[in-house]
Amino acid sequence: MFIEQLVNGLTLGSIYALFALGYTMVYGILLMINFAHSEIFMVGAYIGFLVLFSMPVFAPQFFLLYFLLCFVLSMLGAGLLAVIIEKIAYKPLRHACRLSPLISAIGVSIFLQNLIMIAVGAQSKTYPEKLPIMQFHLFGVQISSLQIFIFGLSILIMIILTIFISKTKMGKAMRAVAENHVVAQLMGINVNTIIALVFLIGGGLGGIAGVLNGLYYGSIKYNMGFLPGIKAFTAAVLGGIGNIKGAMAGGFILGIVETLAAGYISSENKDIIAFVILILVLLFKPAGIFGEEVTEKI
Amino acid sequence: MLLQINSVTKCFGGLKALSEVNMVVNANETVGLIGPNGAGKSTLFNLITGVYSPDNGEIIFMDKNISCHKPHKITLSGIARTFQNIRLFANMTVLENVMVGRHCRTRSELMAAFLRTKGFRKEEKEIADSAREILGFVGLLKSGNMLAKNLPYGAQRRLEIARALATSPSLLLLDEPMAGMNSQECNELIDLVADLRSRNIAIVIIEHQMKVIMSISDRIVVLDYGEKIAEGRPEDVQKDPKVIEAYLGK
Amino acid sequence: MKQIIGIMILLLLIVLPFIGYNCGNYYAIHVAGLVGIYCILCVGLNITVGYTGLLDLGFMAFCAIGAYTAALLSIKGIPFWITLPISLFLGGFIRYLLGAPVLRLRGDYLAIVTLAFGEIVRLIANNFDWLTNGPRGLPRVGEKIMEIQLFSLVFKNDLQFYYLILFFLIGTIIISYRLEHSRIGRALVAIREDELAAGLSGINVPQIKSIAFVLSGMFGALAGAIYVHWIGFISPEMFTFWESVLLVSMLVIGGMGNIGGAILGVVLLVGIPEILRPVLGTKFVDYRMLIFGMIMIVVIIFRPEGMLKSKRRALELHAKE
Ligand SMILES: Nc1ncnc2c1ncn2[C@@H]1O[C@H](COP(=O)(O)OP(=O)(O)O)[C@@H](O)[C@H]1O
Ligand SMILES: [Mg+2]
Repeated sequence: MFIEQLVNGLTLGSIYALFALGYTMVYGILLMINFAHSEIFMVGAYIGFLVLFSMPVFAPQFFLLYFLLCFVLSMLGAGLLAVIIEKIAYKPLRHACRLSPLISAIGVSIFLQNLIMIAVGAQSKTYPEKLPIMQFHLFGVQISSLQIFIFGLSILIMIILTIFISKTKMGKAMRAVAENHVVAQLMGINVNTIIALVFLIGGGLGGIAGVLNGLYYGSIKYNMGFLPGIKAFTAAVLGGIGNIKGAMAGGFILGIVETLAAGYISSENKDIIAFVILILVLLFKPAGIFGEEVTEKI
Repeated sequence: MLLQINSVTKCFGGLKALSEVNMVVNANETVGLIGPNGAGKSTLFNLITGVYSPDNGEIIFMDKNISCHKPHKITLSGIARTFQNIRLFANMTVLENVMVGRHCRTRSELMAAFLRTKGFRKEEKEIADSAREILGFVGLLKSGNMLAKNLPYGAQRRLEIARALATSPSLLLLDEPMAGMNSQECNELIDLVADLRSRNIAIVIIEHQMKVIMSISDRIVVLDYGEKIAEGRPEDVQKDPKVIEAYLGK
Repeated sequence: MKQIIGIMILLLLIVLPFIGYNCGNYYAIHVAGLVGIYCILCVGLNITVGYTGLLDLGFMAFCAIGAYTAALLSIKGIPFWITLPISLFLGGFIRYLLGAPVLRLRGDYLAIVTLAFGEIVRLIANNFDWLTNGPRGLPRVGEKIMEIQLFSLVFKNDLQFYYLILFFLIGTIIISYRLEHSRIGRALVAIREDELAAGLSGINVPQIKSIAFVLSGMFGALAGAIYVHWIGFISPEMFTFWESVLLVSMLVIGGMGNIGGAILGVVLLVGIPEILRPVLGTKFVDYRMLIFGMIMIVVIIFRPEGMLKSKRRALELHAKE
């Protein structure tokens, strides 16, 4: 029972972790909560839905290809959407007071949710079950191939991201911009390009998380982003917002805590528990479990 | 003795911004605080006004240890300050900025405000009157209804002083009040600081222009890399080899 | 001059609905009442968001607390004039308890905490069946919300409620206005402009923030308590996150920190759409939020002070004798 919950928690956690990366990367570089990230997640899920839905039933041999296409397209679509949002709604506010970008992001969030609702309807859609799901029994624990797939893919993506950020020139430039825009500019880095790149990557990861979420729960809806978005944000804060490895760890922690809380405390009130955790984290560990407090210079 | 700083130390991470600094300020005295950039001057102000608390040592003001007090309590006990980077209430009028300074010296509560009681109206009038008086003193009365953000730079610096004065301080800390001013504005400000003495206010002033600081200070304290390297009358400090070295390098 | 205009507007607000109602414009009166309720909410929220600069994304929680308290008491047969102060007190008290730890948080984190609190309250209303009857709402079958009675007058129709709401709205506006132009109001704005400088100017920042926060919450509870007596029914879905966000968008679009702006926001985002609803059909409701989202982005980018810019009151510069 406990191990099974743990497996469920890890699966959920890997979705949260991917999702949280977008929040944390944007915060790291612009110091803003990208409230519209939950809608990017939702749009990613819908793109994936479209691809899988249009997959011809008679061609099971191309199934892998379609699957790849599904992830690549939703990643690209969600990433581009994030870049466009940044250009339109956040960039003009880069020097405005701190709450303005958050308010703008909320505006984007309202807009996108309602746009999708009008476009596809308010009912939830069943995610195409094109992936053959097998059940394994390992040490008396039931694990589905889907869970393994979600976990494995997330880990793979996170490894690639970590290597990208620590080893490549662009990754280093990203860190430099996060450290200090002005200095990075002086070093010859095009800050705007890097910010766009951050939104592209963060949004793309959000899109994949959306598809995984759709596959895992089997249905999607126009407002599906809100709750997981809050939880992913909690994960990002838990790991120290701005901290990439922290967001990954935070995602897994939150996924496991949520599943255990649902299993052992109350499944009906699991969302209440998640919100309480969010408040507690913000109150007592606003810098995250790994981070340290920074004082404002006067 | 008004203010007494006893071997105060403050670190930021590994950086020792102040180490074992001692200093006193007497009533009615003007003390110049100088030192190269990053010497820890502003940090000392931040410690005195409670923005940071010292890692070690104590700060005694009017015989009370204020080392751990909250900023607003310290202001209430009689210390006011200005900032190196101007921090006004940008979208309030000039007069309102000064009226905010009167907040801690007035007491009318919510209910009085809702009911517009006689006491409330009387106090509001007192607040406005003394704010106007102070604005007149710093020469900003004419701009009273402008938004603070629309004031010219030099006037903003003076408004900061006015707001600080509104809290009726007995010690005023001025952090580079002349930075970025032209020479005429500077001279006006020097006169203003001189006028402040007539108000029985002790002043600690951070300033980079030697000529200015030497002419207005009774006493000079020199910081370098967080340590006090000299203290004394302006003419003595000027000749101190350690001070010359700190400023000119080896 | 200003006073004359004020009195004229007030007279219009009193007379027009009376004429309208007697000409059979029931729907318009209903909308007017709704606008009034939202105005109380927005003018109240403005104290937190506009004056003090604290973004609150869960304000409907306090409307819910007021409404549920009023409903639960009313079902037990307690009259409005007793439930009202209890609702206000409870709304204020819970807001105080929330504010004590969270008000020291940075602006964006505070926004998220209020969001979380708002959702917690809604989820409690939704999940705690024994208290709130869950998603089915209150009153339960067979129960009834008491009517409001003032001396011999019983508030029944929309017009009567409109006047009741107008009365409370005027009270709200007066309190808010007087707050703004008082020592504490100036302190609030100072905190919004520069929290650190405010503290160093002698303002007890946590205490003053808490006053604003609690006061706002009480107005939220007020609106909730009146609303439930008027409509006679509440359910958790009236208090979703998006309702709270809608209130914030009204302030953003109308103009933060400014009573007129708050009211303008309500008229634009509630009044006009509700009036147009029968004309444009229900499909329009879907597009409404889409448009609001867009306007919100445009306003915050091109006119961050909102449509009605808050004007600082000019004060006499020469001491009067
Ligand atoms: N909040 C802070 N966090 C980290 N370092 C700080 C902070 N405030 C000041 N410092 C550092 O302490 C040193 C002294 O700064 P400061 O007191 O501002 O110098 P100055 O004498 O120029 O006013 C500097 O090296 C500065 O970078
Ligand atoms: Mg300095």
